[in-house]
Amino acid sequence: MHLDPFELHRPASVDDVVRLSRDLAGGFDYLAGGTDLLPNYKMHLNLKPHLVALEDVAELQGHTLARLGAMARLADLETDGALTAAYPSLGEAVREVATPLVRASGTVGGNLLVETRCFFFNQSYFWRASLGFCLKADGDRCHVVPQKEKCYATFSGDLAPALMVVDAEVEVAGPDGRRRMPLHELYDLGGDGIRRTHLAPGELVVAVHLPEASRGRPGTYLKLRVRPSYDFPELGVAASGVFEGRRVRSLRLAVGGADPYPRRFDALTDSLVDTELTDERLQEFSARVERAVRPVHNTFLLPDYRRRMVSVYVRRALTRLRESAAS
Amino acid sequence: MPSPGPLRFQLNGHPVEVPAESARILLDLVREDLHLTGTKRGCDLGTCGCCTVLLDGRPTLSCLTLARLVEGRSVTTIEGVSPRQGLSRVQQAFVDHGATQCGFCTPGFIVTATALLRDHAHPSKEEIERAISGNLCRCTGYTKIVEAIQSASREGV
Amino acid sequence: MATTGSPEYRLLGTKIPYIEGPLKVTGRAEYTDDIQRPGMLVGRLLRSPWAHARLRSIDVTEARALPGVFAVLTGEKYPTPFGVLPITHDETAIAVDKVRYIGDIVAAVAASDERTAEAALAKIRIDVEVLPDYSDPRDGTGPVKEPIHARGLLGSNVQKEVVQHFGDVDAAFAQAAHHVRVRGNFAGVTHAFTEPLATIAEATPDGRLTVWSATQVPHYLHRSLSEVLGIPMHRIRVIKPEVGGGFGGKSDPLPHEIVCAALALETGRPVKILVDREDVFYTNHGRHPTQNDVRIATDARGQILAYDIEALIDGGAWSSFGTVTTYYNGVLSMGPYRVPNFRYRGRRVYTTKPPSGAMRAHGGTNIRYSVEVALDQLAERIGIDPFDLRDQNALPPNSTTVNEFRITSTSFRKCLAASREKSGWDQKFRKLPYGRGIGLGCGFYISGSNSPIHFTPKMPQSTVHLKVDMDGGIAVHSMQADIGQGSNTLLAVIIAEVLGVDLERVHVQRVDSDVSPIDLGSYSSRVTFMMGNAARAAAEELRDKLLEAASTLLSLPVSSLVVAHERFQSKADPKVGVSFLEALHTAMERVGALTASGAYNSPAMGGTFKGARAGTAPAYSFAAYVAEVDVDVETGAYRAVKVWAAFDCGRALNRLAVEGQIEGSIHMGLGQVMGESMNYRGTRLLNPSLLEYKIPMPQQMPEVEILLVGDDDPEGPFGAKEAGEGPLIAILPAVGNALYDAVGVRFTDLPITPDRVLKGIDLRRKEGRPWKGA
Repeated sequence: MHLDPFELHRPASVDDVVRLSRDLAGGFDYLAGGTDLLPNYKMHLNLKPHLVALEDVAELQGHTLARLGAMARLADLETDGALTAAYPSLGEAVREVATPLVRASGTVGGNLLVETRCFFFNQSYFWRASLGFCLKADGDRCHVVPQKEKCYATFSGDLAPALMVVDAEVEVAGPDGRRRMPLHELYDLGGDGIRRTHLAPGELVVAVHLPEASRGRPGTYLKLRVRPSYDFPELGVAASGVFEGRRVRSLRLAVGGADPYPRRFDALTDSLVDTELTDERLQEFSARVERAVRPVHNTFLLPDYRRRMVSVYVRRALTRLRESAAS
Repeated sequence: MPSPGPLRFQLNGHPVEVPAESARILLDLVREDLHLTGTKRGCDLGTCGCCTVLLDGRPTLSCLTLARLVEGRSVTTIEGVSPRQGLSRVQQAFVDHGATQCGFCTPGFIVTATALLRDHAHPSKEEIERAISGNLCRCTGYTKIVEAIQSASREGV
Repeated sequence: MATTGSPEYRLLGTKIPYIEGPLKVTGRAEYTDDIQRPGMLVGRLLRSPWAHARLRSIDVTEARALPGVFAVLTGEKYPTPFGVLPITHDETAIAVDKVRYIGDIVAAVAASDERTAEAALAKIRIDVEVLPDYSDPRDGTGPVKEPIHARGLLGSNVQKEVVQHFGDVDAAFAQAAHHVRVRGNFAGVTHAFTEPLATIAEATPDGRLTVWSATQVPHYLHRSLSEVLGIPMHRIRVIKPEVGGGFGGKSDPLPHEIVCAALALETGRPVKILVDREDVFYTNHGRHPTQNDVRIATDARGQILAYDIEALIDGGAWSSFGTVTTYYNGVLSMGPYRVPNFRYRGRRVYTTKPPSGAMRAHGGTNIRYSVEVALDQLAERIGIDPFDLRDQNALPPNSTTVNEFRITSTSFRKCLAASREKSGWDQKFRKLPYGRGIGLGCGFYISGSNSPIHFTPKMPQSTVHLKVDMDGGIAVHSMQADIGQGSNTLLAVIIAEVLGVDLERVHVQRVDSDVSPIDLGSYSSRVTFMMGNAARAAAEELRDKLLEAASTLLSLPVSSLVVAHERFQSKADPKVGVSFLEALHTAMERVGALTASGAYNSPAMGGTFKGARAGTAPAYSFAAYVAEVDVDVETGAYRAVKVWAAFDCGRALNRLAVEGQIEGSIHMGLGQVMGESMNYRGTRLLNPSLLEYKIPMPQQMPEVEILLVGDDDPEGPFGAKEAGEGPLIAILPAVGNALYDAVGVRFTDLPITPDRVLKGIDLRRKEGRPWKGA
């Protein structure tokens, strides 16, 4: 299965990348690990004439306890015991991404910006042509929720929720310079399956910064999928926080794999701070999170089931945090 | 599109120089241009793991790797992990345990297992299962593959 | 690393590594796509985006004009219908008048390279009249607006209807103390072999056509090529390279194989067609989606009185093996039990979806699931243990079933006893905590179809030729098809065993119709039994020639000699003997290289009623599996923790291969239980990829304890029966029944995904019916 021709660019610095992005204005994709982009290209999904490979950009490489380069490979994160111990939610999430072979090439930046997924999008050109193209590629309508305005493709990265709950920040660079923002603000909650981040055209993720304050804080990531390997999340629940007994000192919760974007639930978790998280309150809290997400029928498992699993997974994640405080 | 110059990299320990356009996929280059057919094409989308090669020593999906991006790097295929005579320890263990049936996924498993045993002399059953969970086998139920890798690790690599 | 087998045999019964293993672990085994021919073109197929449409016109002018395009073919050039069963030829190489599913082949191109071929496909213009599509077999049982095939019964889409009645079912139900009814709905599943379909064809100026193909039945491909292309079989040569798995999916002659040959004829150049993974899903021929309705009646003690069964089978676009499927869903529902009264109505209905066909344990899997769930339910209702219920209904050895199947060997009761004891059943059943459960599932399967598809019964079903020259290497020829199951190894082992020689002397040759005598290939789990008997006969003929020579050399009567390791020696004095080579060279003195031939044909059997031969086999395998499962009752997720697999394959000739078949079958069967399914929206397959078709991972495999308890079969080679397909059947109901024991919910439909488990648990709670106190 070949790829259609494109021009491959290999800039060596972030400045070069930004310059290229201006020159190629819109007619390019960034190529990180390739494990998401290249299958999509093989299926003729939103092909561009230029690929800008980030492979040679030194600044994007590698990771420390404080900083994950955008091109840091997931396999390298997974095998760094100090990192996964410092940020348990990240440690649990990274080992759950796809397969070991995908993680060998897959990158931090690639996983944060992984293309949203849908039964009607992740198909070959033949398949999509046969049904009629959709909003997200080559067409003007949605086959999941029939209308022509909004795309319901699901955000399917594992790292984003896990990093959001440790208050990670993302550093981006673009034609207008560099900026840094909380990771959860990277995603556009007013967007949809197509427009799902606040990145300006040409902007790229340079690194993720991990705050020292979150280091060592208990955390967890629970992933719903059919098989223990391969599958994208049908739901991903990340939590991080400090308990004293049952009393909540701090708490972050984020959910991915259910909506077109991963999201934190700060208003809900803030309401728990300095309260006793009894089983009853936990039940009620999980139900409120469940009501806030809206999975649609575009993945393998049914949306009603995925929604129901939200409260189970939230409850399990918070119970785990609460228990880790007790022990 | 301007056509790039020849691609140079180390293949199975030897330097190669071969034309490759930007869109050339490593799997296609290895099988079709370099005629090393031990690396298999099972799905072309990164799911089956039949096309696994070592890229700078790390098991990698050659079907999702642009050939141009291995410039100056080292690629080892199943042909490269096989000794000139006889079999490697893990290969012998696969044979002895009947870990091959149809054999189509086998080169990918051997490449993955070779790297696993290089990095972990004595992986647990769980570690083996995790390590091979990106290689798909439809014949064996994985039982004998896991046994073979366990046995090869006990003998040391 | 051979382990000790039976003292009667040197090799048989031990664990013998596959002889081609060293080639496979080094990437040196040659599969079809590994073969390059000089000047080879790329063949590509244009597939229908419509589920059902009449072809008005196809314009290939632009495609043909493209530089680098050597041929563009459409259906009218080779319109001769074909199909694996001679009575249901309803496929064409390329669609002729209509397309019948999304993925049906509309045109084909041969070009210098892949990109040119694809560009050419994009330039083919097709004008169609879109016709109504049919996704649900229920909609096709009566007259329809636009029958998918003209051959559908009475203007419907019914491809085949089977009605059988033995005994008096209504009377049996009237006097029954207990009866249950289980209705089941089964999603389609597919083989998902790792090697995609691939074919190379080359027509040469000497008037011959050579075809290399990933096939499990080279002989049927050979016939179909001849029929459709109009070339006598002797001018066609079919070669089977190494095949990367089949499971039934490479047993039909497939259209792309014929198209590839046609393109080679058209262009005069070698042509290769690789079917990409998505198109492999469309080619399908997998297990039929089925709707079953099973009623079973027993007396007060649980003695089975009658089965009353209906099956509605979704055939997809073509007949394929479907007529056999329709019979099998009935006749394979009975054994391993004695069923005195039996009624069956099976209908296989065409739909405008990818064709269903034969998949491992063809026709015996879905119906078996329903039957075994029903028996579990009956045991509960009657208040007896599920093992006891099955044991008291077991078919005895050397018996005849109500539909006149001849049962010779059966160690089914030994299977029951072994799995019951080893699993600790009596300590666990209904005694494990809520969420944990144990279940029993049983099965049986044909050990080779007695009724070969494409042969007059007078010709052998398998033939094996041997040739040995002065070098002492033994060349073995046979058209049996090793697809990974180890039949080459078995062939070598049988010959080495009979001749007393080392395995390394035996060289099993690649299947090549020019030199391989016909064997009907790998389907119906026939190879061990049929090829094994043919191989034994051939080896014995050769052995006799060698014994004759040894007798001359030693001046001892043949009757006083025995075969020893690499040697023929005196029974009385083992020191007196000659080496294999000495005997060989003496035997060759007048005739040169020695040859020998062995053949097998199954004996006459079966009744005289219509369809009586369907399901008859020279022997049957039997199974009793226990599965223990662990359910997460909050999420419905579960896993099989351990499986005790008691299996009767007669004598296991290569234990390593038998274990491999059982473990692989459990994996494949678990896939169908846990999540594998061809998911359709209407006639559109939603998941034609290995990412979204959920084959289980290593972490989902249970620990498997294999219990081989079979007694020797009287007719099997050295007492052996099949072990390739039967091992799959029992795992499905074992898990289904274990889930019942775990959470008290009957799962009648497959797959049993976590959402279904949870729904079941909810319902039971809502009904206020606690289970195990929860």
